[in-house]
Amino acid sequence: MREFKLWFGLAARLTLGGVLLVAGFLKYDEIDKSQMAVRAYEMLPVSLANFIGIVLPFAEIGMGLLLILGAVTRITAALSALLMVVFVIGISQAWARGLSIDCGCFGGGGQVEPGTANYITPLLRDTGLLALGIYLFRYPQSKFSLDKSSHQNLEKGI
Amino acid sequence: MSAKPQPGKDNFTRNLVIGVVVGVVLIMLVPTIISKQTKLAAKIPASVSAERGYGIVFNEELTGVPVIDIYEDFQCPSCARFEGTQGQYLDSIIEDKKATVVFHTLSFLGTESVLAANAAACSADQGKFLALHKMLYQTQPQENSGAWTNEALVAAGESVGIKSKDYEKCVTTGEYADWVGNVQASAAQSDVNSTPTVFINGKELDRNSYYDAAAFAAAVEQG
Repeated sequence: MREFKLWFGLAARLTLGGVLLVAGFLKYDEIDKSQMAVRAYEMLPVSLANFIGIVLPFAEIGMGLLLILGAVTRITAALSALLMVVFVIGISQAWARGLSIDCGCFGGGGQVEPGTANYITPLLRDTGLLALGIYLFRYPQSKFSLDKSSHQNLEKGI
Repeated sequence: MSAKPQPGKDNFTRNLVIGVVVGVVLIMLVPTIISKQTKLAAKIPASVSAERGYGIVFNEELTGVPVIDIYEDFQCPSCARFEGTQGQYLDSIIEDKKATVVFHTLSFLGTESVLAANAAACSADQGKFLALHKMLYQTQPQENSGAWTNEALVAAGESVGIKSKDYEKCVTTGEYADWVGNVQASAAQSDVNSTPTVFINGKELDRNSYYDAAAFAAAVEQG
């Protein structure tokens, strides 16, 4: 059972980390669109939304790399889970308020023609990724992880 | 993977990896943040008003007429449709001095948008902005297909009657590239989240009027 958990942990790391890395990579050199995507959620003051639009792709790349390599898995998993909660809230409120926006999850973003917005796919995806993040926070040990032999670290909770 | 823990050694590798990842991300992030700031030293075309979001302004001097702000990207297909529907009307109200019109040439769709916006600014210096504007939309290629090179944009300028060598130099040297960034940064501050976006007297126009000549003209006349 323990062995299975380690392999599952690896799969969770690669999935969550892989999605974050790809999402960040598709956005980091299209920062204008990324800023537009964050603004279109109409949740934050414009200047803060623009700042997050710049930082988010790089944060995703960093978190994705750390998860894939298995370094500071627990903290990174917690941050990823938190990020997914924010995404779920953002998409849900856009849906509830009847905004017509592209989620901008993997580039693109901004307003779209009324009636063409798709909120279900990103919501399901982010909920699944949230579950993986929570799992890795609870059980950060996994195969091929740089954290693997640092039992002291795990005991200290980092 | 069942090796005995070797805390010292493994911690070193792990900490090194963490340091490298965080370091690389920061090294990429900081220049990006700086590049998105408004560059006050940017060279701007004569017809541009920094107070009006670095847009290219027609009929700046008029008072008591509607102010129409148009945010567009030369590569955006909806903007080509907007120009096709409203272009002639906009030309006529500029000609007849019935409105102040501000064109904000955004560049979020990529490099070729930057080149096109720069060329448009160069054409403004030659008094041919509206002609080139129309020409670029009429011949709009696929997004980032490589069709809009500086050479192609020089040729487009010549085709609308720009003869000056200054235009060619302005296009090929990317004279207004920093200004293009300022236009985009200003649109970001104005919360423009799609193109085209039109403001009349500072109020965002309902999207249903964009492709309807009569509704658009009515909205402009109401102010």
